[in-house]
Amino acid sequence: MATRRVRRSGLTMPVVTKRFVDNAWRRGCDYINLDLEDFVPQHLKAYARSLIKEAIPNVSQGGAEVYTRINHDYALADLEAIVWPGLSRVNYPKAEYGSEIRRLDEIITRLERERGMRPGTVEIGANIETAVGVANGYEIASASPRVQDFGGASGYDMSRDLGVEMFVGFDQFVYGKGELELIARTLGIEVRGAPFVANTTGSVSDGDHAFRQAEAARKCGFRLGGGLNPAVVEPQNRGFTPSEEDVRDAHWVLEQYRQLAGSGETWRQVNGRIIDRYEADRARDTLEWAELCAEHNHAKAEAVARVQVAMSQASA
Amino acid sequence: MLIRRSNLMVPITTPRFVSRAWRHNADAITLDLEDSVLDTRKTEARALVEEAIGQVGQGAAEVFVRVNKPVVHADIEASVWPGLQGIMLPGVETADEVAVAAELLTVMERQRGLVVGSLQLIILLESALGVWNIRSIITASPRVTQVGLDESDLACNLGISPLPEYDPYVYARGRLAIEATAAKVQPVGMLYPLGTQPRLLATAEIHTMANDARNLGMKGVICPHPSWVEPVNRAFTPTADLVAYNKRVRAVFAEAVASGTAAVPLDGRMIDVPVDEWAKVIIAMDEACARRDAEKQAALKRLR
Repeated sequence: MATRRVRRSGLTMPVVTKRFVDNAWRRGCDYINLDLEDFVPQHLKAYARSLIKEAIPNVSQGGAEVYTRINHDYALADLEAIVWPGLSRVNYPKAEYGSEIRRLDEIITRLERERGMRPGTVEIGANIETAVGVANGYEIASASPRVQDFGGASGYDMSRDLGVEMFVGFDQFVYGKGELELIARTLGIEVRGAPFVANTTGSVSDGDHAFRQAEAARKCGFRLGGGLNPAVVEPQNRGFTPSEEDVRDAHWVLEQYRQLAGSGETWRQVNGRIIDRYEADRARDTLEWAELCAEHNHAKAEAVARVQVAMSQASA
Repeated sequence: MLIRRSNLMVPITTPRFVSRAWRHNADAITLDLEDSVLDTRKTEARALVEEAIGQVGQGAAEVFVRVNKPVVHADIEASVWPGLQGIMLPGVETADEVAVAAELLTVMERQRGLVVGSLQLIILLESALGVWNIRSIITASPRVTQVGLDESDLACNLGISPLPEYDPYVYARGRLAIEATAAKVQPVGMLYPLGTQPRLLATAEIHTMANDARNLGMKGVICPHPSWVEPVNRAFTPTADLVAYNKRVRAVFAEAVASGTAAVPLDGRMIDVPVDEWAKVIIAMDEACARRDAEKQAALKRLR
């Protein structure tokens, strides 16, 4: 796997709502997902498509990556309108068959060539939102190298397909999430996963819940976040980033592990904790991730500063 | 939309259970030739089916017969009569078993003057092999309308004595819900541990567990006792509150679309297309349940 991308937070927004799009760069998220699908009314689909090309540079000014969620049923027309330099990912909803992904891959490959983009730039997010999608998970995830993370099997579409209510206080999606995680790990791609953290209100702006969910996800080895309301961006960035204490602890574990070298032992116990190769690997992973998060925060802060300077110069 | 919330199991060799079965308001009644009938009485039991179908069906319940896997031919032959909705096939492990039963139904439908292809199959999975092969099993015939786990027999097959506080079927039930939904077959079942320990519980507890089962994807419950029927029917019927909320969702969403967005907040949640689609399902399900209940009430009225 290439270097892990930092995608702790992201806002999905209807591209037709101008004030969301114009303010997107200020939100501090790692990516912006411009929606053509469920947030856009049917009669505005064509108009929505026409907005993407200009929206890409607009929403990415603050250092966020740009995704677009296309419509399952008009994938072709949507792709023609959205694959432009600056787009890093196409999210394809309700993926159910490997053949769908192969078709998207072919079209994206052609558009990248026609529009002077480096081949393979645009990822495909294969969103699993139905039982058929879970059942065919392996063929979907392995259909294209553009699928670089995989997961889902929860949310409103999934709940409708299974006929279950959302927010019932237990995990209705545990099997599907488990299946998709195994598939992702088998293929060596990133897992788009979320451990169960009870949420009975369904609020999309609850920062406390977003933080707890993100922190739990990070501790289960997941790195990918995203949401709908600006209020969850900062809590997700924080929850997915190792805390100072986590970083201190990782350094301590590595120090203990170094002392093990040359002792002839493969593990030792310090203050009731086991120190071994596994723990050392985990500590290294934490430090690497903390480093990537810090670099990414820095890059975003610089981008935001550049925009602000440009804006003050323009108004002066 | 198939509404089969409760399916009451009735041992066919106990006349008082058979004669009273229609009074319990179950959506379906399954006459059992299998586990509740002694081996020595199987032949006698078969001879009772034809009459019992008419008897248990008088309240407009759909009527099924659960057959014995080793003598599936003889049992199906004894069960296919007018008024039968289908066969409950236990212990299925391979698609071939389904294909054999389906062919046999075709033969018997012709012989007894029923519409060919009209009889349905309810599949019970009772072994690891059955759970593993679920996809090929439930897609082996378009007759399959429901599939469930027989949790007691599954425990036996797995060699476990399940403890009530640890659900050993999280994977099996999850696989059931996903694969059945993917195949457009209804998954049925009760929340653990009631499936393995069908004790007599207070109605409120049965209702809570059936409601949770619905929220794991189940579409109905096979009821081992008449006391389950009422709380199960209630759990699988949308409540008035839920219907009212979803009507509000539809109205708010329609307004939003008219004003140019398909994402609109409601009580802290975000309403978009899938939420509106789900609201349609709830409202349609409420109407379908009401129609089913009206059918049953009309039948009872005729009886009086």
